[in-house]
Amino acid sequence: MTDKNLLLAIFEDIDPAAHAVDALRGLGIHDEQVTVISGTPITEAMLGRKHQWSNVTRFSLGGAIIGFASGCFLAFATPNMYPIIVGGQPLVPVPPSIVVLFEMTMLVMLISTFLGVFLDSRYPSYTPKEYVPEISDGRIALLLDCPGDMEATITKAMTEAGAESVKRAEAQVI
Amino acid sequence: MANPKIPEFKADWKEGEEGRWGMAIDMDLCTGCQACVAACSMENNVPFVGEEMSGYGRQMAWLRVERLWEGEYPEVKMTPFQPVMCQQCGSAPCEPVCPVFATVHSQVEQLNLQVYNRCVGTRYCANNCPYVVRVFNWADYDRPEPLPNQFNPDVTVRRRGVMEKCTFCIQRIHKAEDQAKSEGREVVDGEVAPACAQACPADAIVFGRMDDPESRVSKLSKDGRAVHLLEELGTNPRVAYLKGGSNGNLG
Amino acid sequence: MAISANALPHAHADEHDHEAYLRKEHLMLDPKPRGEMNALVMESMTTTSWKFWVIAAVMAAIVAIGLFGAWGYMIANGLYLTGKNRPGYWSLFLVHTVFWIGISHAGTFVSALLRVFKAEFRRPFTRAAELMTTFALAQAGIQIFAHMGRVWLAYWMFPIPNQRLLWTNFHSPLMWDFLAINTYLLSSTMYLFLPLIPDLAMARDRSTGWRKSLYRILAMGFRGTEAEWTHLRIALNIFAFAILPVMFSVHTIVSWDFAAAMRPGWSSTIFGPYFVVGALQSGVSAVAMVVITIRYTMKNMDYFIRKEHFDALGKLMLIISMSWAYFFFNDYMVQWYGGDKWTDALLHFHEAGPAGWIWFMMLITNIAIPWLVLWNKNWRRNPVMLFTVGLLANVGMWAERFIIVPVSLEINRMPFMWGQTFKPGIEVPMFIGTVAFFILLYMLASRLIPLVPVWEVQEGQMAHSIRKYGKEPVVSVADLE
Repeated sequence: MTDKNLLLAIFEDIDPAAHAVDALRGLGIHDEQVTVISGTPITEAMLGRKHQWSNVTRFSLGGAIIGFASGCFLAFATPNMYPIIVGGQPLVPVPPSIVVLFEMTMLVMLISTFLGVFLDSRYPSYTPKEYVPEISDGRIALLLDCPGDMEATITKAMTEAGAESVKRAEAQVI
Repeated sequence: MANPKIPEFKADWKEGEEGRWGMAIDMDLCTGCQACVAACSMENNVPFVGEEMSGYGRQMAWLRVERLWEGEYPEVKMTPFQPVMCQQCGSAPCEPVCPVFATVHSQVEQLNLQVYNRCVGTRYCANNCPYVVRVFNWADYDRPEPLPNQFNPDVTVRRRGVMEKCTFCIQRIHKAEDQAKSEGREVVDGEVAPACAQACPADAIVFGRMDDPESRVSKLSKDGRAVHLLEELGTNPRVAYLKGGSNGNLG
Repeated sequence: MAISANALPHAHADEHDHEAYLRKEHLMLDPKPRGEMNALVMESMTTTSWKFWVIAAVMAAIVAIGLFGAWGYMIANGLYLTGKNRPGYWSLFLVHTVFWIGISHAGTFVSALLRVFKAEFRRPFTRAAELMTTFALAQAGIQIFAHMGRVWLAYWMFPIPNQRLLWTNFHSPLMWDFLAINTYLLSSTMYLFLPLIPDLAMARDRSTGWRKSLYRILAMGFRGTEAEWTHLRIALNIFAFAILPVMFSVHTIVSWDFAAAMRPGWSSTIFGPYFVVGALQSGVSAVAMVVITIRYTMKNMDYFIRKEHFDALGKLMLIISMSWAYFFFNDYMVQWYGGDKWTDALLHFHEAGPAGWIWFMMLITNIAIPWLVLWNKNWRRNPVMLFTVGLLANVGMWAERFIIVPVSLEINRMPFMWGQTFKPGIEVPMFIGTVAFFILLYMLASRLIPLVPVWEVQEGQMAHSIRKYGKEPVVSVADLE
């Protein structure tokens, strides 16, 4: 028996899962050692857990800035590289430039939001992971990083909280 | 030639209000003989599209002689013949709408240029031309022998999918300018004429320098009989049309 | 007024009956265990009759011949095969571009705007609508490239460094169009993909063989950890809010292709919102048509798509038809009052010219028919009637674009150059080809992609409950997000 084990406790509903989270705290397991996996989005507040940190908004803000800058390049710099006068309009016309700035800002902002999800969630990753297909049937799973000597205690606590099953988690190709 | 200052707002645009090259067409002299149309097509390698295409509105001539009926039949009056070609607007609506800069304003000649090999054929310029003078190569038209022998080597032959229009015979302007430059002088009045002006038997089409107040075309453009087409649109057209008081019923 | 009519009957003898009625009426109050819903969706994807393949084969043949065959022939021979001439430099290709971009608008509208406003009826068909956006934009792209005289040089419109050292002309509305459509296509595709990831993971968990490999690759290892859901939720919120101005900008810029031009009838300041509403008119109608089609042709969809959805879409169509009438009248009124002689001639030509019947047909199918039919709850809940109204609204919106593009081009400021463009050219088979292509892409997608966002439906069902105020059972929604 190793001194660290991964346990996967599966719950059918939110309430028992929330009780289990409390019970784990009582046993001295840190929140960071528990990963919640679910088939529908359940908020951290429902289980009484801390809010997850996400960089997506930062990616998106960064993208907006890059997009605005590239819009500026297209609208203000490129006409000066090869000056061509058309229709008695200024070389760099203001109203059309606003259109270019808007579209480029939005484009790069949304692309980086999208990529932000990929980077934050480490997509794509096809390495084996601890997972069971029942989760996408709406189950809630707690993936615990538990000290080897506490395995029996935790299993008991989870079952008492209402877990459908508690078992050793094994990484598998999903 | 120094580049003119580029204004910040469109309303400030004064560049070449008079233009460098201009044309004056005396509608009282025009007989509607279409010699200008034929000469233009020869000079500029304009393809002949055939009866069927032409009937469907796909004629390629850069120049057309307009004539309309006024009033209801049988009480009709004919308007005078009016040759219409590209007006070489100083503030051309066709230019800014091209996504690939295929139609641009030349700052040296102060003409409206069509760059054939940049054109991708969106045809927006044609829609935005209030004078409807731009023509599109809907197909590669046949030039049966011996027509190719008649090609003008100074003018590009356009292929299908590009827009084209009157250039004021810019190849002739360049030739005259080169000649004048080699002789160390300016182009003098009457030295250069586009094909249409040269061919006009009635001398109704006068071409010359607008920046020379003594030239014939300058004087005619300032004549009391002179008007510009659709002047109210603010496009600064470079072609003046002259029409005297009572031409009566020319028909 | 029909719009504010309550969907629930108020007089009821037995409150228990009423509760049963509510559960039957609303998908959100009729929850099934997630496993069962997953099975329903998986079955709907994998149950395919021979008729499906026959239709798909016919569509594929039309696409091959009518679209790509005809297009290739046109590229090889020139645009004389179309019905265009001078002064009708633009005609059906641009009509169809605007038509398809209009249809593409509904996907984002239904999915993003209704998400922002938390309109719960959207949940089962957001993906069906988003798929329409992506596929319709593909058709719009085909039409706009077909329109170009030298399509093999289309990359000259891309603002990329090139050997000619020449950048593109940002003065041109077509360049704004390029940027806007490009932004919209990319962002709506990303917006389609993000909420699809959990459903792809669901499909991965319960499929075998090639499907398993496909979903495994597409789901990208999604498990559903708290962090993954948080990132997804934040991203979807950003997308829902940010894609709306992009959507409005796209059709506004499409309208500027016309409104920025110096032409009677086109140079109208109200064209921006008028086009946006017109796009929604055709788009939401198309969503209704697609929703009805999948409801009656795909297995198990009768659970997810119910009369309440027809009802809601019908109301939306009615409101949009009213807005369209308002904008149409606004545009017409100001142009009429302006008294410019060319505009006057054009307006007269619209109504009394050879295309006058198209103009009147537009008013009938866009205003009269929706107003007469959709006010009635029973009629808009009737799939045949709703489908017909939707189809006619699309015909009417096609007519509107036809009036705006080729018919308006026939009148200009040089009466000598007035002319007509009525010859039906190669645009006709190419349009039929894009319709077939759209249907084909949709049919194939319906076999490969879970058309119902199961997790979103379940989330909605978690949030809904029936509460009793006194004796009256009422629907109540909790804000879970």
